[in-house]
Amino acid sequence: MKVERGRDLAKITWGSLAILACTAAMAALPWLGVTSYVRTLVYYGAYFLALGQAWNLMSGLTGYVSFAHGALAGIGAYAVVLALNADLPMVISLLIAAIAAGLASLIIGVTSLRLKGTSFTFATLFLQELVLLLVRKLPFAGGPGGIVLEEIFPLWLPHVLMIAVAGGATLLVLVFRRSRTGLRVLAMRDDEAAASAIGIDATRVKIVLFCASAAIAGLTGAVHGVFASSLFPNEVFSIDLSIIALAVPLIGGAGTALGPVLGAVIYVGLREILQVLAPNLHLTIVGVVLLLVILFMRDGIAPALGRLFRLKDRRGQVPAIAEVRA
Amino acid sequence: MSGILTVVDAHKRFGGIHAVRGVSLALNSGELLGLFGPNGAGKTTLFNMIAGLYPPTSGRIELASRDVTREPAFRRARAGIGRTFQVCRPFRGLTVAENVLAAIPPGSGVGDDRARAREILDAVGLLPKAEDAAGSLTLGMLKRLEVARALALEPKLLLLDEPLAGLTASETSDLLGFIQGLKARASIILVDHNVRQSLGVCDRAIVMDAGAVIASGSPDTIRRDPGVRRAYLGESAA
Ligand SMILES: Nc1ncnc2c1ncn2[C@@H]1O[C@H](COP(=O)(O)OP(=O)(O)O)[C@@H](O)[C@H]1O
Ligand SMILES: [Mg+2]
Repeated sequence: MKVERGRDLAKITWGSLAILACTAAMAALPWLGVTSYVRTLVYYGAYFLALGQAWNLMSGLTGYVSFAHGALAGIGAYAVVLALNADLPMVISLLIAAIAAGLASLIIGVTSLRLKGTSFTFATLFLQELVLLLVRKLPFAGGPGGIVLEEIFPLWLPHVLMIAVAGGATLLVLVFRRSRTGLRVLAMRDDEAAASAIGIDATRVKIVLFCASAAIAGLTGAVHGVFASSLFPNEVFSIDLSIIALAVPLIGGAGTALGPVLGAVIYVGLREILQVLAPNLHLTIVGVVLLLVILFMRDGIAPALGRLFRLKDRRGQVPAIAEVRA
Repeated sequence: MSGILTVVDAHKRFGGIHAVRGVSLALNSGELLGLFGPNGAGKTTLFNMIAGLYPPTSGRIELASRDVTREPAFRRARAGIGRTFQVCRPFRGLTVAENVLAAIPPGSGVGDDRARAREILDAVGLLPKAEDAAGSLTLGMLKRLEVARALALEPKLLLLDEPLAGLTASETSDLLGFIQGLKARASIILVDHNVRQSLGVCDRAIVMDAGAVIASGSPDTIRRDPGVRRAYLGESAA
């Protein structure tokens, strides 16, 4: 078990170092003279990664599928623009955005997470619709015409913030998954009744995780609000973003830290190609890719790769039966 | 001897099915109680009510004089009830060691929890399988993993639901010996549908049929009970 713990610790250490190095490199891009095309591509990669990891923290680890992460990000975007327009400082505004999304998640979390996964999924769909309806009706939210950020921030600011959120969320999933609490969450995903028989308060775990996950989604949306600077409710609260938030981790490997990274890279690549070739079909094609991944790799690309490499590992260490006999 | 568990007139109905009909029992600490009865007698349902998987339709359940009738399963587990499932329910995505580690209360001890998990696995003979996926175990191993996971809670009361079913003869005698050794640590209720194989290790036993207790007392009393003899020990009504 010492070995096992050593292996776990090594994975966390090397994984964290890799994440920090990537985060630093990507955050430095605005000063490294890369083209704005590359910088924008990296920004969107980080945006979808942050959103995907937020979804992953809840749905990937518990198996309770959320369709609300786009809407939660939208709440963050609206909150940050309203707060900044009220002359609040950036840090406070981002905090308000995260809290707003967290609070919104509690409404569905507390009411539906006692129940089965399908009730939760329907509740998240309901939230998505409810928020769109509210934002279009509420006077201070600008109605169907949306709202505009009054102050213009330098482009590097949302870039650096988004990379930091994406890197931080990935780090959080990496470390949490291998923590004792993370282990108990994975046990719960496998069998909730058996988990409660070993003292796990499943409802509480799910509510807390969903709230944390929503806060990250809200923060992600907030940073994107600063980036986009004008918000239209039909865009911000379209179901598309919620679908991307779940497609990214599912393609790459839900419940793993690496999965959403792969998923985000693949999705951003696909999106670039399809925006030229078939802009209207892009979510349909993402759906097809997702189906293919599920069909051929079951649980996403990262776990499939893991199995492949572990197999090679074993072959390297343990002699095959034929060799033993010879 | 102090009472660890008291069940008072517990009933359970599933729609039209009256699965448990007024069962009462008391368990003293350090006692091994056998719970016997044919399939469908209501043994598992009684366990589920004691462990809190669902509440009784009526009746009361007390753990060490505390009324836990309405408490959820996780709270009863924390209060000291460990249970196994008749149909094994391992966490299939975790390794064998992780299954046990997950059940050790977080932040409870000063010691090394991973070492503790290994100790428990060693005790049930699963240490060589520690790093294997739980989903890959044979039935005999899964039954032992169920016991190991329940033991990780350091329960005061251990509910074992047919841990011997489906095991080979040697596995059965090993596990039975092991269970007997656990009496020093916990009070135990052992469910078996085979009276003969485990009555010998019990301090006391209860026999259920069709949701009700039809006999209870010392192993000798149970052996002599005419109803039990008819139903289980293969004797004709004499
Ligand atoms: N969840 C349930 N829903 C409906 N009927 C059930 C349920 N659980 C058990 N029963 C019924 O209750 C009776 C007792 O079952 P059970 O407690 O599993 O018996 P045993 O464990 O003694 O074999 C059976 O008739 C069974 O079909
Ligand atoms: Mg049963």
